[in-house]
Amino acid sequence: MNTLRRWFLAPASVITILLFLAPTAIVCAYSVLTRGAYGGAGQPVTVENFFRVFDPIYAEIFWRSLWISVVSTLLCLVLGFPLALFIARSKRRMLFLNLVMLPFWTSFLIRLYAWMFLLRDTGLINSLLLSAHIISRPLPLLFNDFAVILGLVYGYLPFMVLPLYATLEKLDPALIDAANDLGAKPFVTLWKVIVPLSRGGVAAGCLLVFIPCLGAYLTPDLLGGGKTVMLGNLVQNQFTTARDWPFGSAVSLVLMAAVLAVLFLAVRRKGEDLL
Amino acid sequence: MRRLLPAYAVAAYAFLYLPLLVLSAFSFNASRFTVWHGFTFHWYAEAFRNQQMLDAIFNSLVIGVTASVVATAAGTLAAYGIWKRRASWLTNSLYLSLLTPEIVTGISLLAFFQWIFRFLHVQLGLHTVILAHVSFSLAYAVVVVLARLRNFDAILEEAALDLGANEWQAFRRVTLPFLAPAIVAAALLCFAVSFDDYVITSLVAGVNSETLPMVIYALARRGISPAVNALSAMVTFGLGALILIAERLQARSKAGK
Amino acid sequence: MNRRVFLLGVSGALAGCSRGAERRLNVYNWSDYIARETIPNFEREFRVRVRYGTYESTEEMLAKVMSGNSGWDVAFPSNSFVVPMRQMGLLAKLDRHRLPNLVNLGERFQSPPWDRQLGCSIPYMHGATGIVYSKQGPAATAWADLWTTHYQGRMTMLDDSAEVLGACLKRLHHSVDSTLPGELNAAKDLALRQKPLLRAYLNAEVRDQLVAGDVLAAQAWSVTAQQAMDQSEHLAFAYPEEGFPLYCDNGVLLEESKRKEIAHEFLNYLLRPEVAAAIATEMRTATANEAARRLLPAKDRENVTLYPTDQILSNGEWFREMPAAAQRLRDRLWTEIKSA
Repeated sequence: MNTLRRWFLAPASVITILLFLAPTAIVCAYSVLTRGAYGGAGQPVTVENFFRVFDPIYAEIFWRSLWISVVSTLLCLVLGFPLALFIARSKRRMLFLNLVMLPFWTSFLIRLYAWMFLLRDTGLINSLLLSAHIISRPLPLLFNDFAVILGLVYGYLPFMVLPLYATLEKLDPALIDAANDLGAKPFVTLWKVIVPLSRGGVAAGCLLVFIPCLGAYLTPDLLGGGKTVMLGNLVQNQFTTARDWPFGSAVSLVLMAAVLAVLFLAVRRKGEDLL
Repeated sequence: MRRLLPAYAVAAYAFLYLPLLVLSAFSFNASRFTVWHGFTFHWYAEAFRNQQMLDAIFNSLVIGVTASVVATAAGTLAAYGIWKRRASWLTNSLYLSLLTPEIVTGISLLAFFQWIFRFLHVQLGLHTVILAHVSFSLAYAVVVVLARLRNFDAILEEAALDLGANEWQAFRRVTLPFLAPAIVAAALLCFAVSFDDYVITSLVAGVNSETLPMVIYALARRGISPAVNALSAMVTFGLGALILIAERLQARSKAGK
Repeated sequence: MNRRVFLLGVSGALAGCSRGAERRLNVYNWSDYIARETIPNFEREFRVRVRYGTYESTEEMLAKVMSGNSGWDVAFPSNSFVVPMRQMGLLAKLDRHRLPNLVNLGERFQSPPWDRQLGCSIPYMHGATGIVYSKQGPAATAWADLWTTHYQGRMTMLDDSAEVLGACLKRLHHSVDSTLPGELNAAKDLALRQKPLLRAYLNAEVRDQLVAGDVLAAQAWSVTAQQAMDQSEHLAFAYPEEGFPLYCDNGVLLEESKRKEIAHEFLNYLLRPEVAAAIATEMRTATANEAARRLLPAKDRENVTLYPTDQILSNGEWFREMPAAAQRLRDRLWTEIKSA
């Protein structure tokens, strides 16, 4: 069995080593080199790039990525919980669940473009509000933090709903009946019984939303107008127009470290395999 | 609360679907702007007349099909191997690749390719994009097939072995047919993920390897282009249909044997 | 398994079959910088298949081309990048014998500061950076006008480190090509003060937003300005009073190219008066080709936005290449500005 199994694992192992682990090693190598005058990388070997990452001006990007991710995650939680509850209680669960997942699988880029179409000064929302005389000047709905958070919540809401649904579906209805029999009003039952029992799903959902938000690139790029710079934008910028691969590599490694740290903390506290 | 929840759900689904539906509706708008001016197929025709778009669609299809075939094949084999006995380093690497932000995957592949090109006389092109897509969709394929394997009763394979088949035959005749719906679902998933990718592709694409997302992105950056609306509507419904098929297959396979 | 191999083979073959023994050329140019018929005409006459790619900024082009094996044959960097690219060994030497149409270039461009012998670059289109503004508001005729709160949130600057720092340096009455850390840091502070007022940093992409009225004022290249003004009567262009940078985009042949002969044919073709005139007319650019300019209608020839008078030009400064230390500092300051 062992030889057959080794052959079976071979293609995936080769792909993983060559196209995942080796590239990661190259990035680590780049992170300790120095940038040439117009780009490129070479000697001397230095850790200066990592010190530069913790410079106040970049720390600001780090904090911005953090708070945008936190806000987006919390919004996803608040918006996703009732939806997951609805699906868990409905008679046609699979249908409603698939309906939630479907937009996610169409195209991320197109969904962002759809929001650009809606939010622009001359977009649909402003046009409707203007023609209804609710506002006199177009609202600045695009190219700011608001649009980025909206885009992130829209994009990753399904990631929150799925694990929440999985947990809520397994809730013993007898517990809820018991609470009702004891005279609790529906909202009290929700707050004191359902929410605490779904902690696992809440944690998984927050994790599945927070991590992609932290490394987001396309959403802040298109909806933020190049102004809401998050960590992903900084990395992309350094590897293209700024041509500072060593510094970009250092930022990437710090981003990965942050992702791993969050994952490690979450798994250690929950003690279960969330994936 | 019994009445609040469904009302809320309606609002939530509207939030999820309205942007795409609005975009699709406006792809038929005769005017470039958000004032409705009349129904037309003009923008669809323009999208198909644009040579750059046609080339990009062709590239996306070639890349999607090739990458999904390779990733699904390697992923199916790997899932089976992992199911037989744990392979920690491979599993952990695959999960790590799922968690890695796309931009980090993209730049690391770019750095790797450029480094390798010092020794081989190759350039960035269709092949590098395909390799990149295989790299990030492998994990998806493994996850899907592995999930199906967890429902598989190993006894069936053992029975085949008892009846005189060797391991390869047991896999081919017993396990593989069972996995078939999951394999197709995995392939469709890999295709959808590859077809939509912008971030990684934009970094590792070469001169002749512009893909549809790259064209859409360039147009989206420059403002509102109705041809992009038409393209978006087509891609949305196309991919949506693919995913529905994949879901159907997975549902049927779960309900069935 | 067999079926899979077959599918792989077919798709691979499909992908490769378009590459024949035919003559090809890969041209990398700015967006909206060539007329619709220019490439098809060239393809027909010289029997070449051209792959035409576009970029929005010289940095974007440089990022792709710097590796030395990007696949492009011809590119169009701005003048301040010609010398660095040559020093990095990215440019091939041009054979003047194969470029008889060079005589068509204007006097200003026969021996430009960045390439006195025209040994590796051919001036293509030129312009200056100024301010486009909506006539429905007050006129913005100085860089300082872009620091007022009047345009709050509806103003953009170029997504280009040399341009933004240049505008700030001009406002401080320094040269756009300053290499002094003190002056550059002061310029950076000025840019940071402006950033909250900006909608975005955009290059030619801002044109549609100017026309649509989303953006009321923008730092823009004269080409973009002219294109926008053609589509909207509410826009005007001004050469800032404090001074402004001049630029010229040049066709270059990349050293990595294996099709240098065809590339020469292409560059020579672009220098034909009727070809250059067609591009200038259709894309509303200012051509460096004097013979072409004479073919233009008087209205375009005298257009001040595209072809400023000598008096206006005296207030302009060419962008120059930077010494390594200054370039590193400028790149770092720009990252800080974009990150804030």
